[in-house]
Amino acid sequence: MADTVKLFVNGQEVEVESGKNLIDAIGAVGIEIPHLCYHPALGADGNCRMCLVGIEDGRPPLVPACKTRVAEGMKVQLDTDKIKKIQHDVMEFELINHPVDCPICDQAGECKLQDYYMKYDGQKSRMTVKPVYKAKKLDFGCGVVHDQERCVLCARCVRFTRLITKTGELGIVNRTDAARVNIFPGRPLNNRYALNVVDLCPVGAMTSRDFRFKQRSWFLTKSPSICHGCSKGCNIFIDHNREKYKDDVIYRFRPRLNSQVNGYFMCDQGRMTYKLENDNRLTTAWIADREASVGEGVEAVRRAISQAKKAVLLVSPNCSLEQMLAVQRLAASIGAQVSGYSDGLIKQGDADGYLIQDDKSANRAGFALLGIDATKAGFDAAIQDADLLVSFQSDLSLSLGEADLTTLMEKMSTVYVGSYQNSFTAKASLRLPAASYSEDTGLIVNCDGILQQYKAAVVKNSPAAGLGQMVQMLGGSIESPAQALAELKSSVAALQSVDFEQIPSEGIALTASEVAHVAA
Amino acid sequence: MQVQVLSARFEIPDAHKIEVAKEHGAYATLDKVFAMQPEEIIELVKASGLRGRGGAGFPTGLKWSFLPKGVDKPVYLAVNSDESEPATFKDRYILVRDPHMLIEGIIICCYAIKSHHAYIYIRGEYTTQVKALQAAIDEAYDAGYLGDSVAGRDFKLDVTVHRGAGAYVCGEETALLESIEGRKGQPRSKPPFPAVEGLYGCPTIINNVQSIGSLPFILTNGPDAYKAYGTEKSPGTHLFGISGLVKKPGMYELPLGLPLLEVIDKVAGGMRDGRTLKGVIPGGSSTPVLTPEEAQTVTLDYESMAAHKTMFGSGGIVVLDDTVDMVKLVENLISFYHHESCGQCTPCREGLGWMLKIVKKIIRGEGTVADIDLLTELCDNIEMKTVCVLSAACTMSTRSYLNKFRHEFEAYVSGGASSKAAM
Repeated sequence: MADTVKLFVNGQEVEVESGKNLIDAIGAVGIEIPHLCYHPALGADGNCRMCLVGIEDGRPPLVPACKTRVAEGMKVQLDTDKIKKIQHDVMEFELINHPVDCPICDQAGECKLQDYYMKYDGQKSRMTVKPVYKAKKLDFGCGVVHDQERCVLCARCVRFTRLITKTGELGIVNRTDAARVNIFPGRPLNNRYALNVVDLCPVGAMTSRDFRFKQRSWFLTKSPSICHGCSKGCNIFIDHNREKYKDDVIYRFRPRLNSQVNGYFMCDQGRMTYKLENDNRLTTAWIADREASVGEGVEAVRRAISQAKKAVLLVSPNCSLEQMLAVQRLAASIGAQVSGYSDGLIKQGDADGYLIQDDKSANRAGFALLGIDATKAGFDAAIQDADLLVSFQSDLSLSLGEADLTTLMEKMSTVYVGSYQNSFTAKASLRLPAASYSEDTGLIVNCDGILQQYKAAVVKNSPAAGLGQMVQMLGGSIESPAQALAELKSSVAALQSVDFEQIPSEGIALTASEVAHVAA
Repeated sequence: MQVQVLSARFEIPDAHKIEVAKEHGAYATLDKVFAMQPEEIIELVKASGLRGRGGAGFPTGLKWSFLPKGVDKPVYLAVNSDESEPATFKDRYILVRDPHMLIEGIIICCYAIKSHHAYIYIRGEYTTQVKALQAAIDEAYDAGYLGDSVAGRDFKLDVTVHRGAGAYVCGEETALLESIEGRKGQPRSKPPFPAVEGLYGCPTIINNVQSIGSLPFILTNGPDAYKAYGTEKSPGTHLFGISGLVKKPGMYELPLGLPLLEVIDKVAGGMRDGRTLKGVIPGGSSTPVLTPEEAQTVTLDYESMAAHKTMFGSGGIVVLDDTVDMVKLVENLISFYHHESCGQCTPCREGLGWMLKIVKKIIRGEGTVADIDLLTELCDNIEMKTVCVLSAACTMSTRSYLNKFRHEFEAYVSGGASSKAAM
């Protein structure tokens, strides 16, 4: 437990963590101090003046909470008429030159200006003179579109490009009410995390070209999940909505705070992987070129397995631990070999030392835990005399060249059980649909050995069976998620002490758990 | 009434040249300075009662003593020569006519605060002044008064002239530091104060040109000689820039504490013929205006100004007569501060533009009484809610006109001023 200090907020004693500023410390015990420019990842700037609070007997008596550290015995005033008036007045200043175009603004519903107007301002506009007109829909690059009129000049975006990406594409040009966020002419945003400025923007000034005008934020269901774009496993919100007469569709991914994994941010590439969940999905079973019912497909695959002299089960490093285990057990029962070969998902040299990793799969660490071989040599040896290859979510076309893949597929029959259609599945003789991670629950271990659990976010109109369930239908021995967890616990040493019922939201560091135990 | 303490060499031809300046006493006090301990100098300056001449009037010696002790970082002196407050034109005389007085003062100050590098932040528009100053600094280096061994002593001192790029806000001491560091000139939040964490994160003292320029006299003649001028709490002399509608506007050195009206009459030649006094801006555009009645009793020192609910400021006195349209004066005033707002904090960035538009609306004859009240309220809503006092400079002065000359605003609102609008 961190050190604490006792202080007074509106005369009431509260105990808060020491060493923090007033916004964070008091916010942690549920007392909100309004602020626009402060962000925990970007530090205090003190420009919005919305967080001014009174300090009784303080010198000075009025301070920005973002720049003020908590101190023992400090008497913080938030509910005095003076402070309420300041909040009211600052909101009025923020809004006089704001277009108030909420009906067409993407931020509406999750906008600090709207929230604070309702909470702290609430008066009719007193502007009887012309507002300041500024530029709109500026293309800032990387899919970021900027509206200068909506901007409150909090400089979060500017600080993000300076402090986090260290690329510095954004700046505030001009002074006074002519000040605006801009790029250098011809030098747009050029970094792999640019879309985070859209999330950081407390108002609707930074919008995503991909998302804008697609959905009202209040229609979106915001479900926590984990990005499968690479082995970092950034925590995300899956924002999805089922419009009337339509299917449940994902409209965007947004980063979700996990200080142990990704902090507040995620990369643009991972953010855009939501599209894979919507489009080009395998939704029905296919027997050769014929659409079939899932039952029919399952029968066909079972027959293929029983007739095969030697089968190889290819499992994707994007599968969850439960799914990997199920495939492993199935292989054992039918005398097949398991391979995790997926070299094509590793983009050597792509990692940037921040969030982006070389390995574009979410659970390769699971292979190590379960002892699944993923080497090319192992794969080659396994298929040597095989006559059946069953792929679970694995797109072999990423790892094998076209000629090699063709040779392989001529040599043996191929089955794909998974969620996506791609050039490999198009050639597979049997195809079975399975739910993707956004529709399923599972455990994954990231590149730093942190065990995380994702839960089903999207429920399709015609939900596909989970991959684990599909494996069971094909003859696997694991009959339920609970059984999978129990067997993982009993068979994997690193998971023995894990309580799967209570995996903390920031995950469990598997490799460090023993160290932490000793230190404690 | 006029005295010659700071301006002693101003009228001597070529006094900006080092040999002429030396003939008339420049650098003569350095022997005495280097024979003293730095702490003794600080005490001596404290004893002189010298107050910061940039406008705030903070005791100079006390400011120096805020430097943290035993810190392993370099200490910097930043000389504020941004002089951008409208109606202020005093430091430019020192820069052009007696730059060696400033350099000598810098040496004294740096020795006292144990600094080996001084920056002079000079207003960008001061082209003549920067040339004169740089020439003098070059001369001082050549003569051995600056450099590795100041006046042959074991004391190293470099002076760097840094030109501003035309922003009034860079006269605010932390914006000045940001600007020297090469960033956008925007004030920093305090604390930390510059004495603890200033230029490049190091302890820094920021003093006005005139404050530093006063040091050679104080060191040469002693604190008592300095305190012989002025009042008890506002000792010394000041370079007053008197402008506006008087017969003899100009820069005059006067001891502090003189009655304002007497100075206008006897020093600045009095009002123009047939004109009557309408108001006085006592110390630069940001100081609240005084009515003729208030001007009767005010004297030119910090205490009397405070008692009259205004400020001594920078000594830039503007005399206004009955031809002045106070509403248009306020428009001019707000338009300056609006233009110079750095745009960092919300109330100042958005509020000053709003105030300007309201005043313009009133002048166009489209205003209402509610607009006058709104203007007054906006002054309250903006003031002291910001990182620096730029907005307060605007609102404190604007409020004084709104309160003291409200009838002129009302005349515009009721349409009565349209005939005056040609003024």
